[in-house]
Amino acid sequence: MSAHLTPSVLSCLADGELSPEQLAMAQEHLETCSVCTSKALAQALLKAAVAKSGHRYSPTPELTDRLRELVSKDSQRADAPLSRASQRPSFQGTRGGLKIAGWALAAMLLLASIFIIQRNLSRAGKADDRAALVAEICDLHVSALADSAPAQVISTDRHTVKPWFQGKIPFSFNLPEQLPADVKLDGANLIYLQGQPVAQLFYSIGRHRVSVFLRQRSDTKVAGALPPEHWGFHLTEFSTEEIDAVAISDVDPARLADLTGTIERAQTSARK
Amino acid sequence: MALLSWKRAARESTVQSSMFEDLALPLVPALYNVAFWLARNDRDAEDLVQETFLKALRGFGSFQPGTNFKAWIFRILRNTYLTSRTGLAASRTVALEDELNEHGDSAPSLYPEGVIDRHTPELNLIRLNDGAALHRAMEKLAPPLLEVILLCDVEEMKYKEIAAVLEIPIGTVMSRISRARAELRNALQVEFGINRRTRS
Repeated sequence: MSAHLTPSVLSCLADGELSPEQLAMAQEHLETCSVCTSKALAQALLKAAVAKSGHRYSPTPELTDRLRELVSKDSQRADAPLSRASQRPSFQGTRGGLKIAGWALAAMLLLASIFIIQRNLSRAGKADDRAALVAEICDLHVSALADSAPAQVISTDRHTVKPWFQGKIPFSFNLPEQLPADVKLDGANLIYLQGQPVAQLFYSIGRHRVSVFLRQRSDTKVAGALPPEHWGFHLTEFSTEEIDAVAISDVDPARLADLTGTIERAQTSARK
Repeated sequence: MALLSWKRAARESTVQSSMFEDLALPLVPALYNVAFWLARNDRDAEDLVQETFLKALRGFGSFQPGTNFKAWIFRILRNTYLTSRTGLAASRTVALEDELNEHGDSAPSLYPEGVIDRHTPELNLIRLNDGAALHRAMEKLAPPLLEVILLCDVEEMKYKEIAAVLEIPIGTVMSRISRARAELRNALQVEFGINRRTRS
């Protein structure tokens, strides 16, 4: 090999990412080229220095404790029905009939208490999930409102905004051709909501900004309706067979519902 | 005896939580370190790690046992960062791929052709043990370059793992690493050049 090693090959060499053949060729070149040997050494030194300097920040013990508690709480939530079940009351009767009736009553009480406990636990868990989802939605909307945060795709044309998502999200959606009066499409962002890729569409209703989040419908969707209001923002949602949608804005709820209704109809009308 | 379905589900969930704890807690220092580098302050870094944990815990059912947990949870951290305020602001200020070819060989040459520099920034760094200079140089890196160099050099991930975390092709990983090192070197060159001038 006569040509000098490229920066990319030098990086791969320092990182141990060259294939055996590439490595053999690189070594052969290094044996005769002092310039590349010097570069390779410099790369290795830089890598070692970055590794040392990069290990800089450590979590506080409080954060580690909080995270441990988070996992432990989740584990306890799963354990709760088991521990309750182990506290099963025992009834003793002297006569057969009374004994059977006692067991039947105990079984009924047990089933009822399990049902109530499970329902409460499920409600508490779902309420937590809903609160987390709403907080994340509000956070993303507020971030998008900042003047310093222009949309990733800026266009009022639905034929520009929709195709921009091709290959970026694992589902498709339709945008309405006719929007309600004083409503216009401003653009969109690709964002992640609860770890899922989501299309965040921006609309304006008068001077009010609206975010509409569209994501692929999944079985793990947070159950139950979202609250209609959070941090002074109004929320409305709809679902189709393929997508779940949530809209958020400080605009009048009726006008927000009008917009989401139009978007929802665009999904269904295109299928007909 | 077959367990009732709710009992079975509860036991499976307990086992999952325990498995999650075993896998995730040892990674807290690494997650926090990368989170701090990206967020640039302790409060945002803590929020980022906590949110990552919450998402990972809830989505742990979708994790395939036996696959790379570290890459999986770092991907969640990175996606969480991207949707955070600092992440969104950072993502809009950089368009790297436009400036690079697939393998990054169009990046400016690291060294003048045919010259062996015995006063390279790397050697100066070692000589002066100047970790602060490198720290400043790393802070100047654009987030996409910083994250790739942290995963590669600090977390010692392979290119394949980095590609999985960042959800980009391996070629892009290679080009970004090459670019990041070139920028670090340039920043150090400026730093030491100025220092030399100041001293002389």
